[in-house]
Amino acid sequence: MPPCCSPTTSAVTAAAASPGASRSGGLLRRSRPAPAAVNCKKIDSLRSINGAPPCIPVSNRSLLTPVTLPVFRDPNMRNDTRLRIFSGTANPSLSQEIASYLGLELGKITIKRFADGEIYVQLQESVRGCDVFLVQPSCPPANENLMELLIMIDACRRASAKNITAVIPYFGYARADRKSQGRESIAAKLVANMITEAGANRVLVCDLHSSQAMGYFDIPVDHVYGQPVILDYLASKTICSDDLVVVSPDVGGVARARAFAKKLSDAPLAIVDKRRQGHNVAEVMNLIGDVRGKVAVMMDDMIDTAGTISKGAELLHQEGAREVYACCTHGVFSPPAIERLSSGLFQEVIITNTIPLKEEKSFPQLTILSVANLLGETIWRVHDDCSVGHEPYSSLDID
Amino acid sequence: MAATAAVAGTGSSLSSRRSRSVVSSSFRAAASRFRSPRCVLGSEQLRVAHEGKRMSGAESRTAWAPKVPAPESRLAALPRELRDSRMKIFSGTANRPLAQEIAAYLGIELGKILIKRFADGEIYVQLQESVRGCDVFLIQPTCSPVNENLMELFIMIDACRRASARSITVVIPYFGYARADRKAQGREPITAKLAANLLTEAGSDRVIVCDIHSTQALGYFDIPVDHIYGQPVILDYLASKTISEDLVVVSPDVGGVVRARAFAKKLLNARLAIVDKRRQGHNMSEVMNLIGDVKGKVAILIDDMIDTAGTITSAAALLKQEGAEAVYACCTHAVFSPPAIERLSGGVFEEVIVTNSILLPEDKCFPQLTVLSMANLVGETIWHVHRDGSVSSIFQ
Repeated sequence: MPPCCSPTTSAVTAAAASPGASRSGGLLRRSRPAPAAVNCKKIDSLRSINGAPPCIPVSNRSLLTPVTLPVFRDPNMRNDTRLRIFSGTANPSLSQEIASYLGLELGKITIKRFADGEIYVQLQESVRGCDVFLVQPSCPPANENLMELLIMIDACRRASAKNITAVIPYFGYARADRKSQGRESIAAKLVANMITEAGANRVLVCDLHSSQAMGYFDIPVDHVYGQPVILDYLASKTICSDDLVVVSPDVGGVARARAFAKKLSDAPLAIVDKRRQGHNVAEVMNLIGDVRGKVAVMMDDMIDTAGTISKGAELLHQEGAREVYACCTHGVFSPPAIERLSSGLFQEVIITNTIPLKEEKSFPQLTILSVANLLGETIWRVHDDCSVGHEPYSSLDID
Repeated sequence: MAATAAVAGTGSSLSSRRSRSVVSSSFRAAASRFRSPRCVLGSEQLRVAHEGKRMSGAESRTAWAPKVPAPESRLAALPRELRDSRMKIFSGTANRPLAQEIAAYLGIELGKILIKRFADGEIYVQLQESVRGCDVFLIQPTCSPVNENLMELFIMIDACRRASARSITVVIPYFGYARADRKAQGREPITAKLAANLLTEAGSDRVIVCDIHSTQALGYFDIPVDHIYGQPVILDYLASKTISEDLVVVSPDVGGVVRARAFAKKLLNARLAIVDKRRQGHNMSEVMNLIGDVKGKVAILIDDMIDTAGTITSAAALLKQEGAEAVYACCTHAVFSPPAIERLSGGVFEEVIVTNSILLPEDKCFPQLTVLSMANLVGETIWHVHRDGSVSSIFQ
């Protein structure tokens, strides 16, 4: 019976979703053609929603007055009822933290895989006219998580969401941002096209591998950085600023490391000049700069197999560094990263929770910081049409 | 000309040509058709072409030559109607001498085109010969005045499209707005992406660019992009100078370390150094620190372009302080906005080596300046694109 009622209800409420004057017109139209049975079910369905207040005004002859306010209003809620956050399966704990920061419950959604591997998504609540944020990093398994995100976007679009923002804490394929040799794809551009084509209106990303990749999208992109979170943590450790050297583990990341060094009491910079023979294989050649007697803070956007950063750390120790810290936003940690990182080269390895880490990938030197508040604040400002440029989350001054 | 070619052809050739013409008469369909994507170059692929026939050039120029057979013998193998009718090269007004050199390298005449400006500044373009069914190459760097040259290029593209060109390839030796490749702060545009969108929308089927500021910007295009480098031309010249001292390749800023490192690998695996400058504003520089060592060595500063020369001049002064024997400046694009000439000719540089991707007027020459030609390099790329050959093989 409910599936039979659903199309009729959807058709009727579509008019109600229209803005302005047509909304009241929709109300009138709704009460006239709809059978009483459908209205009764609608009312029951609205009342039974747990924790999520209804967002559609209801008018019915059996009620004395129209119900135009949320029944379950929480006085602590920062937002209006149009903000919805849904989580994919890639990082539900981060999504939960973000929702908690915003004083919201995560939206209910069914995501399952059929026997043949196909992904099924159904929203368990209405998003009509809503500002929907879908939180899903495309971390390994990259293609599974990416496809899930695309299907979530399509589900929201077909459910008449007003705005769909893809929140991608870790953008897989970000490193595939140029044709370094002939006859290659630019997969980051392809993924950007796919997200746009699926129906996203906006994208919120964290620490893209190269900032130029924002230009791959034809929709607005808000790019936030994990750097303030890491800087706050390092500041709380009270390492003497005279002793610090910020080190970039490769030449491609010098701009990022330099921006970090500026924020870290204008610390000096050093670079490991490695010359790579193949994908995920690294070779250290030379250190440019001086780290003797200093505390070296290696800065990168991600640690994958940890080959680059481990050999870099080894070189820093040979060159007389007193201690070596590793900082990055995205802890990808593909094998054999854990063995390399926990071998004693590093005083501490500091990452954020853009990618969830399993228990088996923990090791004593590992510190995981949370970007939930950062992302939550950005989501709030995006929803409320505030600037994401306010302190303390300003974009980095990378020139 | 087209009629003559048609008469000269065989029956089957004539039939084939008419069939193509019918297809090309719909410019919308023509605009949407392009060949399968082709290769572009990466820094790891670059190798110096030490062998090959050396072409003669101007006194201060060295002509780079590919290690492949001379174009004359290649063109002679083509049927006359193919040679005459299928490939056309037109030049905008931004750098006619370079376009002329490229056409000479390919053994063809530049196509006739009328470009003029009306009294109110509007640009008028008319092709003076038919391009129906042709592979058209439009050569136009978008250097200063950048918006004029860019608009002229759009209008040329549109003229070719409406004249039923089979394919339109835009050859941009210097891509203006390339530095506007990211939102460094909030509420900024990404103008390089906008320029890419406009080129595609105007009707180009393919783009050839040279030393674009960041290689990620190739992803701004949804059409095939062939990216070529001025590096072999400069390396060839440096090799011919036989600098005997120890070489250090220096990047004048942290953004260009990847480019300098690629150069250092090609230059006998030279050592690398970086100038860490911290910029206060657009086109303002401040040198802070040298990372690496240049004492007693010859320093070669590598950048993709020299604009106001503030960055590279401050870097050179720092290198001298740090004990460098001599400082060379190498770049592909000589933008040379004021006050670049005063800074570069001030005596801090042994030599300033640039290419002719941007046409330099007489008043911007100075004694230390060496201008190399990349006409052969661009010409060879155009030839490979036209014949559907491999472009990356040029750089091996």
